[in-house]
Amino acid sequence: MTAESLASVAAHRRPAFSLGRWLERGGVFAWLMVLPPVLFLVALVGYPFFYGIWLSLLNRPVAATGTFVGLDNYINAWNDPVFWQVVLNTFVYTAVATVLKMVGGLGLALVMNQDFRFKNLTRALLLLPFIVPTVLSTIAWQWILDPAFSVVNWTLVATGLVEKPGPSWLGNPHLAMASLIVVNVWRGLPFYAITLLAGLQTISPELYEAATIDGAGTWGKFRYVTLPLMKPVIFIVTMFSVIFTFADFQLIYVLTKGGPANATHVFATYAFDIAMGGGQFGQGAAIALTMVPPLALLILAMAIYLRPSKS
Amino acid sequence: MVSVSRASRRDLLKLTALGAASTLAGPSIVRAAPKPLTMMHESSFIPPYDAHFKTKMAAAYEKATGTKINYEIVSVGSLLTRVTTAAENGTGPDMTQIGFNWAFLFNEKFVDVSDIADEIGKESGGWYPSAQEAVVVGGKWKAIPFGNIGQLMNWRTDWFKQAGYEKFPETWDELLEAGIKLKKQGHPFGFELGHGFGDNHGWLYPLLWSYGAREVEADGKTIVIDSDETARAVDYCRRLYKETMLEDCLGWTDVNNNKAFLSEQISCTNNAESILWAAKKDFPEMAKVIDQSPNPKGPKGSFAMLNPLCHAIFTHTPDHKAAKDFLRWVMKPEQCGPWLDIAVTYYQPFLHKYDDAPMWNVEPKNKPYRDTLKDAHLPGWPAPLSRAQSETIAKYVVVDMFAKACAGKSTKDVIAEAKAQLVQIYKTA
Repeated sequence: MTAESLASVAAHRRPAFSLGRWLERGGVFAWLMVLPPVLFLVALVGYPFFYGIWLSLLNRPVAATGTFVGLDNYINAWNDPVFWQVVLNTFVYTAVATVLKMVGGLGLALVMNQDFRFKNLTRALLLLPFIVPTVLSTIAWQWILDPAFSVVNWTLVATGLVEKPGPSWLGNPHLAMASLIVVNVWRGLPFYAITLLAGLQTISPELYEAATIDGAGTWGKFRYVTLPLMKPVIFIVTMFSVIFTFADFQLIYVLTKGGPANATHVFATYAFDIAMGGGQFGQGAAIALTMVPPLALLILAMAIYLRPSKS
Repeated sequence: MVSVSRASRRDLLKLTALGAASTLAGPSIVRAAPKPLTMMHESSFIPPYDAHFKTKMAAAYEKATGTKINYEIVSVGSLLTRVTTAAENGTGPDMTQIGFNWAFLFNEKFVDVSDIADEIGKESGGWYPSAQEAVVVGGKWKAIPFGNIGQLMNWRTDWFKQAGYEKFPETWDELLEAGIKLKKQGHPFGFELGHGFGDNHGWLYPLLWSYGAREVEADGKTIVIDSDETARAVDYCRRLYKETMLEDCLGWTDVNNNKAFLSEQISCTNNAESILWAAKKDFPEMAKVIDQSPNPKGPKGSFAMLNPLCHAIFTHTPDHKAAKDFLRWVMKPEQCGPWLDIAVTYYQPFLHKYDDAPMWNVEPKNKPYRDTLKDAHLPGWPAPLSRAQSETIAKYVVVDMFAKACAGKSTKDVIAEAKAQLVQIYKTA
């Protein structure tokens, strides 16, 4: 109200329109600043998203015009047994990988927070799996997971634990999922560790001193000082990680393409195969969009969680 | 239509500009340089093949006609995505390599090339009928097939000999018997059963067909996968996997069997000519004991998978005639012969003129690939080309039916699941 009335007074005093002044008005300037990212989001996120929704309602084969079929593509997915396997695979992959990354990442961050020789070098090296392009590091894993060339199998055979050729990491449906989770954890751990390390470093040493005076041991300090203060950071990192893991594509596509017998197919790989391989854009879009509700719930949870901390 | 008129307007402007320039420069013949054309190809397994097209053929064509040819190479496995993008957006390369049933999928986006296909056929001894199975859509040729990458049996003669086999087994049953012996001797088989794009279909479809089974009838509607023939093929595959193969085959994609064969992990696989080709280059001693043979026979005979590589012209290209002229030129024996020679039968030509070409004598072990051209079929055969066929491949319905059985599921269950998927796919596609 006050700002508006001031503006109207200013306008009365100076009838000539000044672009500079107009731009400096809070409402105008704020919008000007927000406009580029909004346009960016509309063009690169909003438009594809709504186009995706539209596609999912069509029977739209590649290089042909589509016909509106309502929710048929979703009903087909519902009746497709592979789709349900994909749902289960995605949830197992995301849940197990996220928990392992969270626990491992916190442990790694706690270790990295200690003083030791070559601390900075170790911290930098820690980021390597995260820095190397996923496709390249996954090709290295392809060799590690091939029993004939695997360093793991070689060690297991050499130590007499298993018989040659050793476990089939990508051929056995259960081991294939486990192997993909391991590779995902390997790649995602540095993100957790570094973010949590940053969080750890904001905790004032005085709190630990006070806890020590109160008689807390190492576990007590972790349980009553570190963990409560780290909770917001852990929560946010986990949310991000869940979103990335849920929609993972590259790693799985390079290693198994969803095989053996769909044991490692997830939403992104299945949708890609149907849309690009099978030329059924509508069906592919519908399967990709079924990822949205669970992810939206997570984002909502994140938004709710973040609100009180803001106020 | 719009693009054509736009292009000709641009041509006119160019001509005018050139005309003006030449008037200034003095009297000379005014001629607009022909527009360059772009051909998109998937990176070849045989690098000199790409190099020959890119440098020698393109340069020769430019010299002869003034039309510059750009040769754009895309990485293995990404061609379909690129063709889809170009067809959907109506921009990008003028011509492209295609495979499988893409002539059907992109029918509306590809130019009818029946006229030049007819001329090429007459000039080079006629087409194999299998070539037409992949590219003739609604009676029109939508692409020009230039070579088939056949998939047959690759095996180690020395190890088979040790097990008592001088020749490659002629039937699937004999192959199983040989495989059991060879596995006992430490030389298991390795056939891809995972989500690759070629080496899995390459033997599983022929296996299915040779038992008299098929997914769908020739009418393209009646699903017939649930049959005793399929059950026998599935039971056979389970035994072959459990009794002769490495466990890892279930998770293999197309690179794995080549790696396993060349590192002497396996004694037999189904593959294109690439294993022998690589062995001759890098492991010449091993190459001497590698041979290639037709797929074994089942109760209904021996089958092979068709894997045709073709050239198609996008309708968005401004000058259809210029692109056709180029494809016509490529397929003339003077160009096509030396080009195919470079790959030494890795691409088996669909034209009878090449049946006894000298390239077949460079490596006589490749001859079975030529001999299977006449009765090779696309996945989905005997049904006509369809979108359902693509979806079935993208969902690995047949591969996974076999793979699930190998992983331990019952024959009845895996066939029921495949049937349910096929019913849905053929209903909606």
